[in-house]
Amino acid sequence: MTAQLVAPKERKVAQKRIALTGNHAVALAVKMARVEVIAAYPITPQTPVVERLAEYVNNGELDAEYIPVESEHSAMSAVIGASAMGARTFTETSSQGLYHMYENLPIAVGLRLPVVMGMAVRTISAPINVWGDYSDVMAMRELGWIIYVTQSAQEAFDTVIQAYRVAEDSRVHLPAVVAYDGFWTSHVLQPLDVPEDEEEVVRYAPITRSWVKLDVDNPAQLGAVGTPEWYWEIRWQAVEALRTSLKVIQEADEEYGKVFGRSYGILTPYRLEDAELAIVAYGSIFGIVKKVVDRLRREGVRSGALKLRVLRPWPGDMIKKLLEHVDKVAVIDRAINHGGPLYGPMAVEIAATIQKPVYNVLATIGMRAIDSDMIYDAAVKIHRGLWAPNTPYTVGLRGYE
Amino acid sequence: MRVETVWLGRGGQGIVTATYIVANASIIDGFYAIANPEFGAERRGAPVKAFLTISKEPIEDQEPVKTPDVVVVFDDKLIDSMRFAIDAVKPGGYVIINTGKSPEEAKKLVGRDDVYLVVLDAIDIARRHVKLDVPNGPLAGAFSKVMGFPTLESIKQAFETQLGKAVEQNFAATKEAYEKAVVIPPARVDASAKPKGIISTTSAFLTGPYEIVGWREVNKAGAVFPGTSLLYTTGGWRIDKPVIDHSKCIMCRKCWLYCPDDAIVEAWREVEGPRGRRFRMKAIDFDYQYCKGCGVCAEVCPTGAIQMVREL
Repeated sequence: MTAQLVAPKERKVAQKRIALTGNHAVALAVKMARVEVIAAYPITPQTPVVERLAEYVNNGELDAEYIPVESEHSAMSAVIGASAMGARTFTETSSQGLYHMYENLPIAVGLRLPVVMGMAVRTISAPINVWGDYSDVMAMRELGWIIYVTQSAQEAFDTVIQAYRVAEDSRVHLPAVVAYDGFWTSHVLQPLDVPEDEEEVVRYAPITRSWVKLDVDNPAQLGAVGTPEWYWEIRWQAVEALRTSLKVIQEADEEYGKVFGRSYGILTPYRLEDAELAIVAYGSIFGIVKKVVDRLRREGVRSGALKLRVLRPWPGDMIKKLLEHVDKVAVIDRAINHGGPLYGPMAVEIAATIQKPVYNVLATIGMRAIDSDMIYDAAVKIHRGLWAPNTPYTVGLRGYE
Repeated sequence: MRVETVWLGRGGQGIVTATYIVANASIIDGFYAIANPEFGAERRGAPVKAFLTISKEPIEDQEPVKTPDVVVVFDDKLIDSMRFAIDAVKPGGYVIINTGKSPEEAKKLVGRDDVYLVVLDAIDIARRHVKLDVPNGPLAGAFSKVMGFPTLESIKQAFETQLGKAVEQNFAATKEAYEKAVVIPPARVDASAKPKGIISTTSAFLTGPYEIVGWREVNKAGAVFPGTSLLYTTGGWRIDKPVIDHSKCIMCRKCWLYCPDDAIVEAWREVEGPRGRRFRMKAIDFDYQYCKGCGVCAEVCPTGAIQMVREL
């Protein structure tokens, strides 16, 4: 399932293979990045991250301030404050926790603070459901954060480290979130390659402290009033920084590949070169999507797949180039855009990008189980013309097709 | 018929309320009116701009007034800093001004001979009737007199809905202003002429010496670096200014102690002695650049050496 790894051409850094769950992999990455301030509130399914980080700090393995806050609203406030003082910060959340910190999310963007946040994605209440889908992270797409969506524990580990390098780059200075599947990654034990020498991580992503911060030697006021004469211009800088960050994300990923032997690209295409049917997906299900592509290929259907890894900034030109020759593009969405033009958020964005109708398939909502046969059936229906584009279809919902 | 007006004044003078009252009264009279004020943080003394449009037809186009038919100025010290608004008045339009100065002096201050000039000492009227420095009621009365609408009865009704208190006092002030406002007709009116300028849409909040720059030049993250308030003179906010009679001053420095704004300074004064000898001695003086005319110094002066004198 983790076959997305690009075979290393040259691996400079000695690494060891260990086994960790997705959550513990993220906690390890945060520790290796030498984070200085952590403020987080536990919420299923990310709780083990917070617990493990607390252990690291308590054991003296990580020299960081751990702020035990009373809610996610305070967690985000605390890391914003710490980041404004120039510290490397981390927080983690899921679902309702993200919504509870919502009012602070755009503040990190406006103040240009390189906060890095993990997110074990989970669906939203009601009814109460602590299991995984992408409803939470999809709700923060318009705020200006860099949004990574990862497929496995290894990718989550690597991406957290990359996120620090990108967020703290002087061309960027924006907060970044690294999302991974609740339970299907967060609680799944997987093999993980980690550098033997932790210093390599900080060498790859040194703390730049180059962002605008509070400094007694160079006093400044952050978060002042932006009257109508100034607000838009200040905000536009963040818009432009996010656009520029695409290049930085790519550079950071390539450099990571050179040092650690793994890189993922901004998008991961799979057998797309001559495809007439493409399945676009994100998160852990990309592995079974690839399996479906192989099966369809064996049956003579020229199919391919595309994994979205960076949702913000939106890599529109790249998506266009990869999908422009494909007749039928199906998007598997794992969050519902209630009453939207299509019912999945990524289907809307893909359709707007390739300027063609797309086949919108909703799946895994509330962590409804999915297997490769179900995706295969959907792909066959699309291939045979039984499903129409621009119409929401579901995989796994009872009483509706 | 469509009359577009701009009301200029300072926070606390009731500019926004004035537009609400005139709009409300006009609506009672059967007109359509829209009062769309433009201001930010509400702060006493800071310049405020408000728009009011009155029309016989329904108004849907809520936009800033760029070339007004009428401009109402609540404070003659704003004429220079807000000359762009007076320049923007259409030829043949009206400039209604609150000042304690004579109509001739006011005419010189405004410096336009192609508009109707309406001069009124609204502060004096407000002080006598309302016991407050809010010239909005009297200026509404002056507006009613020169425009012919809204009617005084409607203004009274509007006071009831917009203020809900001190209606009689405010209305008495309005009525007196209606009778007392001096109207100076223009020396010449060239109806085909265009106004000299327009009111910029981005100037509403600008009160300091800022340079408007593009998004690339604006401070990253909106950070504000240490500056100085020395350039931000607040002396223009005054209605009365303190004046000292040095012969009564005993140099107790109580005024200095109580001044909320560091506007009391000690200076050297040259005096002539009884035998004609000239020498220098310490004296209390005022920094009029920053004195807001609150009157605390006159209030606490034990000898009555400080008097507040009308300046506006």
